[in-house]
Amino acid sequence: MDAMQIANSIPMWVACAIPVGLIIFQAFLFMNKARQACNAIGYPDEKVKQAIKSSAITSIGPSLVILSGMLSLLITVGGPVGWMRLSLIGSVMFESIAAGIGTQQVGVTLGTDPMTPTALAMAVWTMVLCSIGWVIFATFSASRMEKIQHKITGGSTKRMAMISGAAIIGCFASFVGSHLVKFNAELGGFYFSKNAVAAILGALIMFVMLKVSAKNKKLAEWNLFIAMISAMILTAVLPIGK
Amino acid sequence: MNKKEYYENEYMPKMHRYGKLIGVLGVLAAFIPCIVLLVVFKAAPEWGKLPAAFLTGSATFGFLWFMEPIGYFNVLGPVGTYMAFLSGNISNMRVPCASMAQVSVDAEPGSEEGSLIATIGMAVSVLINVSVLTVGVILGSVILSKLPPSVTGALGYLLPALFGALLMQFGIKDVKYAVGMLAYCVILYVLIFKGAFAWVPPQISLSNWLPIISAVFLGIAFKLLTNKDKPKEEAPKEE
Repeated sequence: MDAMQIANSIPMWVACAIPVGLIIFQAFLFMNKARQACNAIGYPDEKVKQAIKSSAITSIGPSLVILSGMLSLLITVGGPVGWMRLSLIGSVMFESIAAGIGTQQVGVTLGTDPMTPTALAMAVWTMVLCSIGWVIFATFSASRMEKIQHKITGGSTKRMAMISGAAIIGCFASFVGSHLVKFNAELGGFYFSKNAVAAILGALIMFVMLKVSAKNKKLAEWNLFIAMISAMILTAVLPIGK
Repeated sequence: MNKKEYYENEYMPKMHRYGKLIGVLGVLAAFIPCIVLLVVFKAAPEWGKLPAAFLTGSATFGFLWFMEPIGYFNVLGPVGTYMAFLSGNISNMRVPCASMAQVSVDAEPGSEEGSLIATIGMAVSVLINVSVLTVGVILGSVILSKLPPSVTGALGYLLPALFGALLMQFGIKDVKYAVGMLAYCVILYVLIFKGAFAWVPPQISLSNWLPIISAVFLGIAFKLLTNKDKPKEEAPKEE
């Protein structure tokens, strides 16, 4: 049987549906438990619904980016594995590299050479083996890190908020930094990239949206979506950046 | 029972149990496709070469296994950590969705309500992520590959635009600190590309973990040291 027929076969769909099902189960379980807890501490249900809506709106754009990343995996490792890998522990950047490392060992260059059953197995095993480290470490260090954090804050909610607030801004600053600073030796070192344009436009449009929507909750829900989509389109259309 | 007691004594212990159990199940479940390849299709990897592939992979990503959970912990919290690392796509989906959910209801990050809302927001993002992928994979590459290159090219700018907008959303409340952190990160990236950190062993993924983990912890240290009670801050010292 041809490697891609194997990769897209019914047994592979079933095999990949199990981990994807587990992720869905976890999401529902955690959501229900968190909602129960919201009820128990008397947190208003309208606010919970509002948060769900807001997260849903935020999810749309990034989901499409992940979907476009799945395209290349569909071609190289087949539908089921690509679908599973980007639902479970996956990230677009990681998967193709890991798959390539696996196939390289048996002399198959991903995307160029035809896939063989052995190379497919190498790709899938390598993707799985190289990704479980994240889950294992995260799963078994979470309660320990919580204890350390608790020690630092002394259980004070105010300090917790301070830490989380500082961390969120630090986190996004590093994400933005990674897009502002692009380096390519062939382009003569540092260059002003389209990614930088998108990040700057995203920030500027968001600034305007925050001002405009300051008194309008209904509009505020869409701030991020509008900023992200219009900055993306402007970046693609405007002749600035490389 | 008050709010804090309920949260700490009822909710959290339960979530830790579920989180660990599902984490272990997730690791096992990830191998099912490998097993099916092996048993149903007799498609085995070359066992002798698999360790080399694993070692190359760990040299590339291994440092991230530890650095990312540590770096993101203060953003995700324990429950978020369980969910985010099993479902992946953390920077591009879990963190934005969790924090926008908090923004939408003015829940303070780090508070009990904030953590519950973040968990709910993250769960929603997982469900939407999986749904979009499922629809996409069913429609198949046939339809997806018909998208004009201008569309797929533009999609590449969505994440930087998202991050820029998010930094504005959060930074606008703490402008000096945000500008200082951004300046720090930009300088750090420049230094990384200039080879200032060439002595750090796991080179390949350096730009993936060093900026985020150092920005998060420097930021926290700076805030804890400067904010006694009244928030009064200056830009952090840049290196």
